Amino acid sequence: MFILPAIAVLMLLIAYPIVYTLYLSAVDAHGNFTTKNYANVLRPYVTRQAFFNLIYYVGGSIVFQVLLGTLAAILLNQKFWGRGAVRSITLIPWVVPGIVAATTWAWMFHTEFGIINYMLAGAHVIAGPVGWLTDRNTVMPVLIAINVWKLFPFVTIMVLAGLQAIPADLYEASKIDGASFWQEVWHITLPQVRPVLVAVTLLLVIWGLNAITLIYAITQGGPANLSLITPIQIYQLAFTSFQFNEAAALSVLFFIVAAIIVAIYIKVIPSGTEAAR
Amino acid sequence: MSEVGSRLERRPLAAAGIAAAAIILVVVCLFPFAWMALSSIKKLPELFTVPPHWLPNEPTLANYATVFFNSNIPRYFLNSCIISGGATLVALLLAVFAAYGFARFDFRGKAWLQTFVLVGQLLPTAAIIVPLFITLRWLHLINTYWGLILVYTIITLPLSVWMLTSYLRGIPVDLEEAATIDGASRLGVLFRITLPLATPGIVAVVVYSFVTCWNEFVFALVFAQDQSVKTLPIGLAEFSTEFNTDWGGVMAASMVMTVPVVLLFLAFQRLFVGGLTAGATKG
Repeated sequence: MFILPAIAVLMLLIAYPIVYTLYLSAVDAHGNFTTKNYANVLRPYVTRQAFFNLIYYVGGSIVFQVLLGTLAAILLNQKFWGRGAVRSITLIPWVVPGIVAATTWAWMFHTEFGIINYMLAGAHVIAGPVGWLTDRNTVMPVLIAINVWKLFPFVTIMVLAGLQAIPADLYEASKIDGASFWQEVWHITLPQVRPVLVAVTLLLVIWGLNAITLIYAITQGGPANLSLITPIQIYQLAFTSFQFNEAAALSVLFFIVAAIIVAIYIKVIPSGTEAAR
Repeated sequence: MSEVGSRLERRPLAAAGIAAAAIILVVVCLFPFAWMALSSIKKLPELFTVPPHWLPNEPTLANYATVFFNSNIPRYFLNSCIISGGATLVALLLAVFAAYGFARFDFRGKAWLQTFVLVGQLLPTAAIIVPLFITLRWLHLINTYWGLILVYTIITLPLSVWMLTSYLRGIPVDLEEAATIDGASRLGVLFRITLPLATPGIVAVVVYSFVTCWNEFVFALVFAQDQSVKTLPIGLAEFSTEFNTDWGGVMAASMVMTVPVVLLFLAFQRLFVGGLTAGATKG
């Protein structure tokens, strides 16, 4: 009885739209049944390109988010002066609105007036200004880097909580055995926070597949679709070209692929399902 | 013996390493924020100088004046407050009842329903945006506060229910049973006994919901196309085109948008992080 209101709202705004998307994807503008929508979105090269860009973006982001996030958590678990302040500051990238992060980084990566080109040129890393967001070779790595900056703090919070839950006697035992700091990290810390890492990675996969804001605000998928990802393609199909039925077909395909990725992830790492729930 | 010696010798080196890593971490996290603040008090010609100046030669508040008196940002700020506040309240109310139900009662299909609630968190935004648009249009809720409030409720509700359920499970049932024996109703127990004890969990949920709604961009882009309901993230994106990317104005507007959430978040950081991580570490 208590849960009914929440379930009702979720039914209205999640279950109903899903069913309606299925219907939309299978009819034409006059409501007649057709499979043309699916054929139309599968045919063009851009659909495949957007999908591979998405996999590249999500995969690249997650590797570095987990790596840097975990390292930061290990650092913040050490005792040092000012630790509380550093912990708070580490959360800031995650709290900053996505659109603000996008515009600020776009300004910093500005080809002519950006501070990053200035600093790199000053350090003689680059010879002249680099068009980070317009060059085909740099646009995706730069977007991944910004995304890593935005979300690694989330990994840090979760892993840090996991680290604090590790019983101290485990470390004491290893100290007696003469383990070095990095041996401790590898043999004690990482196995202990594994469930947390699994749950966090699952959330990052889901959020990554959903992410529109950063790329949309910075490049809108450009230059020449090089940073176009499927969610943005769906958005543009629906609200720029007003092809609602084709957008629905792509949504269904995308939803199925996303569900498969999540399912594989949960299957492959069974110990993670407990924590993920 | 030599082993103990090497350990002691390593200490200062390790301390230096930790300090260096901490400084790098702080710089990486704060640099964009600092650059935003510095850019927001520079005049336009100074923003467009090569090489860029680290500190403004003539600090100015003109960009803030533009944002406050010469743009739609104040109105969008109000809209953001109303929509984020409204969605937070609605989600909290629904989440309190749902979490209480999940935490205290056993019923058929409970596991299934809990999974369903979490599926909301799994759904790709892009996949539901089209049908949601059509649903809202049918309900005449496009370009209304209620439209965005409802949409934001479904974004924040799943994690809110999850966080509150694990929090309520941690509160002993004995207290509630004692109150029931004294003749209190179920609702009376919930509001007078359980919820006051759950205040930290509730604060965590409120902060999470508010910040999520405040920052949300894509749904706002689709469902709020009229100035009367547009939110700050949309205003920021708009600012770029409206003034032909007046970077000083954009940075000032970014500050106006960021400072409230950062302050709110830092103020409740401990409670929030505790509420968020409780589910993950306790399993």
